[in-house]
Amino acid sequence: MLKYLFLILPVLISCKSETKSSSEILIPGDTLSVNYAKGFTIVQYKDFKILKVNDPWPGSSRSFTYLLYEEDAGIPEDIEYDHKIRIPVSRIVLTSTTYIPSLESLNETNTLVGFPGLDFISSAATRNRINQNKITEIGSNDALNTELLISLKPEVVIGFAINNSNKTFNTIEKSGIPVMYNGDWTEETPLGKAEWIKYFGALFNKSDEAEKLFNEVASGYNEAREIAATATNIPTVLSGSMYKDQWYVPYGNSWSGLFIEDANANYIYKKTRGSGSRALAFETVLSEAENADFWISPGQFKSFNQLNESSLHYSRFKAVKERKVYTYSNTFGETGGVLYYELAPNRPDLVLKDLISIFHPGLLPQHELVFFKPLE
Amino acid sequence: MQESKKYKIILFILLLVVVLTAFLNLSSGSVYIPFDEVLAALFGGNVSNDNWAYIVREYRLPKVFTAILTGSGLAVSGLLMQTLFRNPLAGPYVLGLSSGASLGVALIIMGASLFGGAWAYILLSKWSIVIASSIGSLLVLLAVLLASAKLRDTMAILIIGLMFASLTAAVVSVLAYFSPASQLQQYIFWSFGSLGNLSWEEVSILSMFWFTGIILAVTCIKNLNTLLLGEQYARSLGVKIGSNRFMIILATSLLAGSITAFAGPIAFVGLAVPHLIRQVIPVNDHRILLPAVIMGGAILMLVCDIAAQMPGTEYTLPINAITSLIGAPVVIWLLVRKRKFLF
Amino acid sequence: MAAINPHIILSTHDLQIGYRNKKEDIIIASNINIEIAEGELVGLIGINGVGKSTLLRSLTGVQDPLQGKVSISGQELGSIPSEKLSEIISIVLTEQPISKNLSVFELIALGRQPYTNWIGTLTAVDREFIYNAMKLVDITDLQLKKCYELSDGQLQKVLIARALAQDTALVVLDEPTTHLDIYHQAYVLKLLKDLTIQTQKGILFATHEINLAIQLCDRIILMQKDQVHTGTPKELIENKVFSAMFPPDLIYFDNQSQSFKIIT
Repeated sequence: MLKYLFLILPVLISCKSETKSSSEILIPGDTLSVNYAKGFTIVQYKDFKILKVNDPWPGSSRSFTYLLYEEDAGIPEDIEYDHKIRIPVSRIVLTSTTYIPSLESLNETNTLVGFPGLDFISSAATRNRINQNKITEIGSNDALNTELLISLKPEVVIGFAINNSNKTFNTIEKSGIPVMYNGDWTEETPLGKAEWIKYFGALFNKSDEAEKLFNEVASGYNEAREIAATATNIPTVLSGSMYKDQWYVPYGNSWSGLFIEDANANYIYKKTRGSGSRALAFETVLSEAENADFWISPGQFKSFNQLNESSLHYSRFKAVKERKVYTYSNTFGETGGVLYYELAPNRPDLVLKDLISIFHPGLLPQHELVFFKPLE
Repeated sequence: MQESKKYKIILFILLLVVVLTAFLNLSSGSVYIPFDEVLAALFGGNVSNDNWAYIVREYRLPKVFTAILTGSGLAVSGLLMQTLFRNPLAGPYVLGLSSGASLGVALIIMGASLFGGAWAYILLSKWSIVIASSIGSLLVLLAVLLASAKLRDTMAILIIGLMFASLTAAVVSVLAYFSPASQLQQYIFWSFGSLGNLSWEEVSILSMFWFTGIILAVTCIKNLNTLLLGEQYARSLGVKIGSNRFMIILATSLLAGSITAFAGPIAFVGLAVPHLIRQVIPVNDHRILLPAVIMGGAILMLVCDIAAQMPGTEYTLPINAITSLIGAPVVIWLLVRKRKFLF
Repeated sequence: MAAINPHIILSTHDLQIGYRNKKEDIIIASNINIEIAEGELVGLIGINGVGKSTLLRSLTGVQDPLQGKVSISGQELGSIPSEKLSEIISIVLTEQPISKNLSVFELIALGRQPYTNWIGTLTAVDREFIYNAMKLVDITDLQLKKCYELSDGQLQKVLIARALAQDTALVVLDEPTTHLDIYHQAYVLKLLKDLTIQTQKGILFATHEINLAIQLCDRIILMQKDQVHTGTPKELIENKVFSAMFPPDLIYFDNQSQSFKIIT
C-alpha cells in the first residue's frame, strides 16, 4: 500500500508547482528598443528585467542571460539565467575604460569601487574620485588581482572576454560575485557601440534616461551625417601605420572605417572586409595610397619628428608633405590615458563631427575638435 | 695547383650567383616592376613611374644590402663558432648574443609598462631599440665570459651560454606575462626579424660593424686552420690560444650583435650556411671556407627575402619563418644524401 | 752514439714539477736534472700515473714548473715567446687530431704554420720541408688520402711527419706506441732512432715499452715516485736501477738480454 503513496506524491507536488509558474509566465514583457547594437537585448517585466548578451566574443557558442531584479520583486521559478543581480547596483567593478562614460552620463560614478589600471582613466569626474582614493587599483586587465577584487565586495563585475577561457572570472564567480560579460567591443557600427549605454541603464534601473541620452547622441550623429552628405568635395583618406615595413590598416567595414564613410570621405581601403587590421606590404600601400588627401589615426606617433624618425618612407605620402595628418594620440587625460579609447565608443557623434570638420572645413563652424588634432 | 684553381672558379661562380640573386631580389616585391624599369631606376635612366624609382632605390636597394650584410655576417659568425668550439651545432648565438638582445629589447618595450603607468606607452624610437639590443647583447656576453673565465675548457663556455639563454628567456616570459597586448605584439614583431626597415644611415652603420668583424675574422684564418688539429697542437705551433679565442669572440660579437640590433634575431642562417657550403665545397681550409661562407650566407638571405616578399601578393611573411622553412629541410636532405657528417 | 760535445737543446736544473692549488702545491717529482742533446734519442719511462705527461708538459712550456728551471738552447723556457718556441720544439700526442677530414698533405702542411705568412701561404721552401718529411717516414704515396681513411699506424706516421715538417731541434712524443701492435711499435721506435741519426734532431719520447727503449735509446729518464734517474741504458743497468723498479715476485731484469722477463 505504501508504494502507491510514493507514486502519487511526486505527481501531486509537480501539479502544484506547475500551476504557480504558468500564471507568472503568462505575463509578457516589454522588449526595450535596441536599434543599432546587435550584442544585447533587454526585456522589461513588472519588477525585473532580463538582459541577454549574445556573442560576447567572436565564435562564442552561447549567449548569457542576466536577471536584473528590483527589491522585493516576484521572480518566476523556472526562468533560466546565468546571474541574478539586484538593481540598482551600488557597488560595481569595471574592467574597461569604455564603460566609464556610461556611468558618468547616468550620474553613477559613485558606484565605481575598483578598476584595473587606474592611470588609463581620463574622465575628470572619475579622476576626482581616484584622487580621493575612493577607487581601488585592482591590477592590470590581463592579470586581475582576484584577492583585492573579492575583498572589495562589489555587487557585480563587468568584464569582457576575447575567448572561451576566462579563469580569472571563474575564480571571482566561485567566490559569489557575479561577473557580467559586456560585448560592446564586438560591435562594428558607431551607433551600435554607443547604444551599450542602455546596458548600464538597466543595471542602474535608469533605462528611460539611458534611452534619452542615446537618442541625443544618435540624432546628433545622423544630423551630422546629413550635413556631410552635402559636401561637394570628397577627399581620399588613409588610416593606420607601419610596423617595420608592414602597414596595418583598418578594414573598410570596421568601426573606424565606417566613420570615414559617414563623414563622406573616400577611405582608400573601404572595399576591404574583415575584422581587426589588415596587414599590407609597404610597396602596395605606397602605390595605392600615396596621394591620399588625409591621413588619420597614424598609430602612436605624437609628432612629425617621431614619424620621420621611425621611417623616411612616410615623407613620400602627400598627406605628410602637406601636413594633413590627424591623430587622437595627443589627446589624453591627466595620467596619460588616451581620451579616444575611453570616450569615442560612447560619443560617436563627436567623432563624426571631428572628422567632418577635418575633411570638409567650414561645414561645421561651431564644432571644436575633441579627439583628432593635427599632428605637429 | 689544380686544386686551388678549381676552388678559385667555384668562388667566382658563387660571386656571380650573389650578383644574380641580388638583381632577382630587386625585381621582386608586392608591386610588379618590369626588369628594364628596375635597371633604369638603379642606373639613372628614365623610369615611367616615380613611385617605382622610389621603391627600387629607397626600399628594395637598402633591403638588398641589409640581406647581404646580415646573411654573410651571420654565416661567418657561425663558422667561427663552429671551429672555435669544434661543435657542428654551434651558431652565432651560442655566447648569448641573441638572448641578451631579446632581454634588452623586452625590457625596453615591455618593461616600461611594468614601471611607468599609462605614460610608458610612448612610441619607442628605432634607435632606442637598437641601443637596447646592443647593450643587452654586450652585458650577457660579458656575463658568459666572466662566468667561464676561470674554466680552462672552451667547451664550458657553450654550456654557460645555454644557461644564460634560459635565464634571459625566463625573465622575458615574466615581462610578457605582465605586459598588455599591444606591447607584447611589438616585442613579438621585433623577434620575427626584419630586413626591409633600415634607412641608408643605418645600413652604413651596420656595414662599418660588418667590415670590422670580417677583417678581424680574416686575420684569424691562419689560427682557425691550425685549430683544426686541436688546441694542444695549435699551442705547440705558436698559436696564442687566449688571444686567439678573444679575437674570434670579438669578431662574432661585432657581426652577430650589430646584425641582431638592426634586423632582429634572425635564426638558422648562421648555423646552416657553413654546413651547406661544406657540402658544396668539401674543404677545411678557412682561406676558402671564409669567402665561400660570406657569399653563401648572402645568397641564402637574398633568396629567403624573395620568398618572404611573396611577390605578386600584398602580404609579406616574417623573415625568421622563411629562413627556417627553407634552410632546415635543405640541410637535412644534403646530410641524408651524403650520409656522412663532414666536420 | 751521440757526438762528443754535442749541442745541448734542453736542460733542466733542480726542476720540481706539480700542480699549484689555492691551498697547497701538489708535487709530482723533484730534483730533476736532465739534458737532451742534438741527435739523441731519449726515452722517458715510468709506471702509469707517476707523472710522465706532467713532465713532458713542463718541459714543453704547457705547464709551469713549481721550482727550478728549464733551459732551451741556453735560454730560460719562460722567457721564450711562443712563436720562437714553436720553431724549437714540436710535439706528437696520443690523441687523434680533432678534424680527420684533412688530407695527409694538409695535415703535414700545418706543421709549417710557424714559418708561413699571415694567411698561411706555402712557399716553395715550405713544400720542400713537407715532401722531405713525407719521405723520411715513407708516406709520400698517401699524401692525397684523407686522414680518416688511414690505419692507426699510418696516422701515427703522419703525425710524426707533421712534427718533422715543423723543422724543430727537439721533437717530443707522448706515448707514440700506444694502440700499436708489436711490429708497428718496433717500427715507430726504430724510425725515431733513424731520424735522430739522419736529421740530428733531439727526440724525447715517453713510453711503456721499456725493453725496446733500453735497446734503442741513447739516454733514458726513469721516473719513480721519489726519484728521477737519468743516464745511458748501460749506466742504469750497471747501477741496478731497473732491477729495483718493480716488485720481485713476478718479473726480473735480465742483464744478459738487457730486458725484463717473467718469472716462470
